[in-house]
Amino acid sequence: MKVKKLFLMLMLAFATLSITVQASEHAQSEATTEVTEEKVYESQGIGSMLINFYDTTGLKAIIQPQEGVKNGQGEEMSIFAQGFGRIMMFIIIGVLFYLAISKNFEPLLLLPIAFGGLLANIPIANMTSDHGMLGIIYNMGIANEFFPLLIFMGVGAMTDFGPLLSRPKTALLGGAAQFGIFGSLVGAAALSQYTGMVDFTLKQCSAISIIGGADGPTSIFIASALAPELLGAIAVAAYSYMALVPVIQPPIMRALTTKEERQIVMKSTRKVNRIEKLLFPLVVIAMTILVLPDATPLIGSFAFGNFAKESGVVDRLSNEMQNSLINIVTIFLGLGVGSTLASDKFLVVETLGIMIIGLLAFSAGTAAGVLMAKVMNKYSDEPINPLIGAAGVSAVPMAARVVSKVGSEEKPGNILLMHAMGPNVAGVIGSAVAAGVLLSIFK
Amino acid sequence: MEEIHLVSEALKFMVLGMIVVFIFLVVLVQLMKVQAKLVGKYFPEKKPVTKPTVQATDEKARTAAIIAAITEFNKNKS
Repeated sequence: MKVKKLFLMLMLAFATLSITVQASEHAQSEATTEVTEEKVYESQGIGSMLINFYDTTGLKAIIQPQEGVKNGQGEEMSIFAQGFGRIMMFIIIGVLFYLAISKNFEPLLLLPIAFGGLLANIPIANMTSDHGMLGIIYNMGIANEFFPLLIFMGVGAMTDFGPLLSRPKTALLGGAAQFGIFGSLVGAAALSQYTGMVDFTLKQCSAISIIGGADGPTSIFIASALAPELLGAIAVAAYSYMALVPVIQPPIMRALTTKEERQIVMKSTRKVNRIEKLLFPLVVIAMTILVLPDATPLIGSFAFGNFAKESGVVDRLSNEMQNSLINIVTIFLGLGVGSTLASDKFLVVETLGIMIIGLLAFSAGTAAGVLMAKVMNKYSDEPINPLIGAAGVSAVPMAARVVSKVGSEEKPGNILLMHAMGPNVAGVIGSAVAAGVLLSIFK
Repeated sequence: MEEIHLVSEALKFMVLGMIVVFIFLVVLVQLMKVQAKLVGKYFPEKKPVTKPTVQATDEKARTAAIIAAITEFNKNKS
């Protein structure tokens, strides 16, 4: 059944592909005729016309790759990247479509990313060049790190800091989970130093390790600042693992806690005054200004979104950020990131390394959060269920939901969702701070 | 440029990063506590005056009356 579905999905992908290829061929052939007309059009027999037309088809570009063909950025593409590499990318994109549509894995981002990848791998059309649609989108908001910030603004406008404000110390769990970032930074460095499988620079290691923050926009922001050449792989890894949170986290959570700990019931939280919520983004901004100005783009836009929401007087703006704006930017962000999935950029051994380190990063972050929560439970006067530590990785609100699910499986009726939201939103701040630290190092 | 030992550099990053993240969050936690105290002291939330449920039944009664009136009106019309 699954195989059949996958097959259908692939067929769909290829069907779309051929339509798009035809469209682009059409555009291409029009362009060439225009040029030849300017050059003085020479009459030719129908036979040579057909042969010339065949030279402009995508079929030929894939079956008979030529030496010295350039990609959108004007670099020469290898024969492999032009021919078989493209076919492999179409298969990978088919799998991404399947995961997004059939498995519901972060479809809002994986689908546009995969489609962007599909368009980026079309031969001849060169959509990733500076004048192609994908190139324009990429330069408009990804190369300059603009789109991730707009997304952060929307996320800020959707976030409720109430659970965190009612139990401030759970913020530390969001800090512990950032060990995922720095632990995998060491892992990435070790991988390239000792195995020789990949050759990452420190900047690239840092960009990869931010996957451990489990925060898509932050990952894209850092990747385009530190290692734009790895952006596609990093974004795909970050979003795929975020979608896999319900699969990756529970085994780690169970392995590190005892049954009694998982059954701990936490006291209900106090009600938070509206003024506290209103002041909180300003407090965070003030801290950022004093400690880590490098994190201001991320935290600033996040705080702006949240402030607009909590102010209660600009509902129109805050609704816009939470809905239309974030949706539009998501389309652009997805397509733009997808444009880096061109075969000559993605099918490199580094991608494999990024996937491995990303998984390591996620697991390390979860583990550190849970361990920290165990320690806090020992030394705290009120009981803390160690499971909520896993929500310290920022994937909002998925990680908190997973915690709640595992908690209620252990003890029906024990709802941990609100308790887990505290570390969860603190994780967003924590990974933005970690990102700021990495940026400040390479300044 | 001399050869950089990647792993030891990465370890340094880790120490720096975790320290900064924790200092940031610890200070933030303290500020949140102070803020909660100050806000609680100077801007205590007014207890929202909850109207008793009578209002809901009032509302229901009114709806019922309107429906009845409309039905009656329609009946008379026909």
